[in-house]
Amino acid sequence: MTRRFTWLETLRLAVLAAAFVFVLFPIVWVALASFKTPEQMSEPFLFAFAPSLANWQAVFASGVFAAAGRSALVGVITVAISLVVGSMGAYVIAKYRAGGSLTRFGMLAAQVVPPAVMVFPFLTMAQALRMTDTLAPVIFAHLSFVLPLVTWFLIGFFEAVPASLEEQARVDGFTRWQAFRLVVLPQVYPGIGAAGIFGFTLSWNDLFYGLILAPGNAAILPVAIANFNTFRGVQIGTMSAAIMIAIIPVVIASFFIQRRLVQGISGGAVKY
Amino acid sequence: MAYRTHGVFAMKFKYGMLTPLLALFVVAVGFPLCYAAYLSVTDYKLTDRTPPDFVGTANFASALTNPAFWEAFATTATYVVIAVSAELVLGFALALALHQQRWAKDLSRAIVLAPMFITPIAVGLIFRFLLNDQIGAVPALLHAVGADYDFFGAGKALLTLAFIDVWQWTPFMVLLILAGLESMPKQPMEAARVDGAGPVYRLRRVLIPMLAPVLTVAVLLRGLDALRVFEYIYATTRGGPGTETQTLQYFMYLEGIQFFRLAQASAMAFIVLALVLVVIVAAFRAMERNRVAERSAAR
Repeated sequence: MTRRFTWLETLRLAVLAAAFVFVLFPIVWVALASFKTPEQMSEPFLFAFAPSLANWQAVFASGVFAAAGRSALVGVITVAISLVVGSMGAYVIAKYRAGGSLTRFGMLAAQVVPPAVMVFPFLTMAQALRMTDTLAPVIFAHLSFVLPLVTWFLIGFFEAVPASLEEQARVDGFTRWQAFRLVVLPQVYPGIGAAGIFGFTLSWNDLFYGLILAPGNAAILPVAIANFNTFRGVQIGTMSAAIMIAIIPVVIASFFIQRRLVQGISGGAVKY
Repeated sequence: MAYRTHGVFAMKFKYGMLTPLLALFVVAVGFPLCYAAYLSVTDYKLTDRTPPDFVGTANFASALTNPAFWEAFATTATYVVIAVSAELVLGFALALALHQQRWAKDLSRAIVLAPMFITPIAVGLIFRFLLNDQIGAVPALLHAVGADYDFFGAGKALLTLAFIDVWQWTPFMVLLILAGLESMPKQPMEAARVDGAGPVYRLRRVLIPMLAPVLTVAVLLRGLDALRVFEYIYATTRGGPGTETQTLQYFMYLEGIQFFRLAQASAMAFIVLALVLVVIVAAFRAMERNRVAERSAAR
């Protein structure tokens, strides 16, 4: 195929190249900083130096990995609950148009209430159940924003499934549950994947609830990273290494999930 | 046996499917909301040992007359408008650029989308040091060319925070717009091209109208999320210089958690919620109108 390099094509490549630099520069800079000694830190443009592993050793010893594990656990449990409960509900909302289309937006409205206000009821609840500084209240709090968004996405996916498909299944003798489980649900698997990734990202990213509900032994990754910030100036290298631990898995993951995400979302979520 | 959508079994199925969602919604969203609503009409403080007293609308009145609250409101509005409009324009351009990318497609998409997967506190801390006057690379670069710009100085910090938001969340816009582009039929653009329409005309008259629903959803979701900005401020300015970068979220965090005035903070949250609901309903109405207009135009 011969592609003519018009000015438009040149502009397109320039925009992309600029975006690559814009995205990668901060990440590369932090990656370099994680191998620097405190003295080298004051030279921002030092690119060739003997890498020091001291920061990484300090981070390995600090329990950031355990925190990352806890974050992943919280994300997986939150998303699993949201997907099971959300897909059942979203299917009915999409099929019977329960509550009209305002339900979908009303669902998002609750997201506007600041975590600073929502967190206190969760804290009271955790104290009453003697579960402070465990992961349970964090999972519960994460459900408060992951569940609405996941359900919101799923309603769009279910609406895109033609009703005739399910009617045929019912004529063929499937029960309502079987028609949902075996015929309709497989149609929205790509969407469920996308919504799941999305929900996981939301949970993985949250600092606030973790900071207040589980600040100590059950600290999740963002809390563990934020804790490096208290020793200002002193531990920049260690903090850079900790930040890299938060970045590396998701950047690798983004390579594998981006296609699924784009395909999944184009399957219905963007048709409001 | 006839297939029926109504009747006892259909109802049983419908509510059976809906009940878990409703129950979880009530406990995870409804309960904290109601609790906060209750607190907002009391004089409760985090340090109280006695049960709170009912004070009616006093908290709402004092919030509405509190200049600091409105200052935070204006700060947040400025932040959201700057960040989201920049993200929309950049996201649109990047989505178009990526849509036509053929070689290294997955890699280039992964690079552009990567920032949205990084936890915001990490992003905030990265920029805190990248833009730091003593050790940051960007100020050093500026010094080298003789320029001097204090990224977290007076009058500039809010813009810097919006910039951080743009770095992290433009990918979200790219994602939704890219998904919209991929699911869009190809014929209208081809037809416009064949008819000799230039790129600007095709963009304005064909592409943007066709993507309008996607753009609305993207702006709405992003706007709602940007309203809740907390991590960047927590990582960088902590509301300063002065109170310049105290956004609503951070302001309510200070009121409720740091200064223990949880009743006040709850009242503020509900005022914000009411105002945002007005905006959402207005946006929703406009979308419905467009939809109806499109349908009648299509006939």
